[in-house]
Amino acid sequence: MNKIIPWILIGPLVAFTASDTAFAQGGDNMPTSERIPSSLMTFFVTSEPIGDGGNLGGLAGADAHCEALAAAVGAGDKTWRAYLSTQARPGQPAVNARDRIGAGPWQHSKARLQDYLGRRLYRPIIQSQIHGDTLEEAQRGSNLTREFALTEHGELVNGIGDPLPTRHDILTGSQTDGRAFTDAADHTCNNWTSNGEGSAQVGHSDRVGNGNISWNSSHATTGCSQKDLVSWGGVGLFYCFAVD
Amino acid sequence: MKQFFVLTAVLALSGLAPSVALAQHGMPGGTPMTFFVTSEPIGDGGNLGGLAGADAHCQSLAATVGAGNRTWRAYLSTQARPGQPAVNARDRIGTGPWYNFDGVMIARDLAHLHGDTLELARLGNNLTKQSGLTERGQIVPGLNDYQEAVRDGDWEFVKTTPYSNRHEMLTGSQLDGRAYPPGLDYTCDSWTSNRDPAPGQAQGALEAGPNRPNAQIGFPDRNGGGNGSWNSSHGTTGCSQTALVRTHGIGMFYCFAIN
Repeated sequence: MNKIIPWILIGPLVAFTASDTAFAQGGDNMPTSERIPSSLMTFFVTSEPIGDGGNLGGLAGADAHCEALAAAVGAGDKTWRAYLSTQARPGQPAVNARDRIGAGPWQHSKARLQDYLGRRLYRPIIQSQIHGDTLEEAQRGSNLTREFALTEHGELVNGIGDPLPTRHDILTGSQTDGRAFTDAADHTCNNWTSNGEGSAQVGHSDRVGNGNISWNSSHATTGCSQKDLVSWGGVGLFYCFAVD
Repeated sequence: MKQFFVLTAVLALSGLAPSVALAQHGMPGGTPMTFFVTSEPIGDGGNLGGLAGADAHCQSLAATVGAGNRTWRAYLSTQARPGQPAVNARDRIGTGPWYNFDGVMIARDLAHLHGDTLELARLGNNLTKQSGLTERGQIVPGLNDYQEAVRDGDWEFVKTTPYSNRHEMLTGSQLDGRAYPPGLDYTCDSWTSNRDPAPGQAQGALEAGPNRPNAQIGFPDRNGGGNGSWNSSHGTTGCSQTALVRTHGIGMFYCFAIN
């Protein structure tokens, strides 16, 4: 059911439809009943945080959170990974967020079957584009916009200019290329186990803030408690990607 | 919901405007405006009267809000012609930094604006929907702000509906802010043409092609074309005013002060 048409067929069709028009119409006002089949969803922002600041129970805890949220909307048949890096420790190599999430491309939660067949999907996000692997890709950017970065329920994440509280700080612990930091400082709330000391690198799901538009590496937080995260305009949300 | 937000944002800004708008621009005590998006198009599609006409449009819009003391340039490239070298948009706009109506910095310098290095490009500059304001401090309506599917590409509708989607900015430029090589048209014939492709020629291709009047555009709200490039996202269906409207532009462009 969830693999009616392989991406290899639909991907190029979507990618080469140049106009934004086709993707806009029918976009935002669709009734909930018409959303998804959620099996088309391969990317979402967690609708809720774990709630203990930067302590996510490590990568395993974060992945489990992705799985649970996906399952709640009928997308639990995929393997979900949190987009988070961890830094190297003695006897423990670094983990790069970009290496955890499969190859993509990824589609968000508003992808509908009828659009899928009619080729009117939002353009998917592509590994090399979201990370800007070449200068041209980095300059052009990706389709990971505020409107694309929806929760598993298909809802927007509050960003700058939206009603408070702002929830656009997304935990990543990553550099702009999607890889772990290599210096000694903490960028991952002690590899996602600290709810006090430390710092987490965050991106902005709405691509606004801190003088840049980075989705995955805009700035650091000044602490790892839930309160610290909130003070910066986040609540501890993170990105989830399906690897299959 | 979102259209409501944009309207309130615009109203809030115009509420703020009277105290500052007619004096020097920028927030009270802040930095004067050296960047804006034209609040109005020239209105003849890709025919802007050349670079000179576009610059004059920037200058006159700036003057209406008390910022006419600066020298304003349209962010537009033109391609090389016999006896006429190419003009790169990035070479026309001074060295920055540039600030919007609110005194918010758009970019520190040319390298920051264009993402000249991999790291700069990945981070991006600070041009966003919230910062890409017109000379009057208005947010430029973008995707999903106000769209009536039936009249979405209709100039008569868009003209009289100022909060409808109009987020495509003419640039005629590549990602690095430079002109395209000569050959295919990316600049509506150096901003002098309002023509559309002849019948039978690739209609709606949204990219340059042989004998296709076309302009390269970008998005101040970083949302469209599947990428989000502010200056080089895709082409247009032609150079007439109605052709620009078809893909959610009305022929607006960026203006930068060089002093």
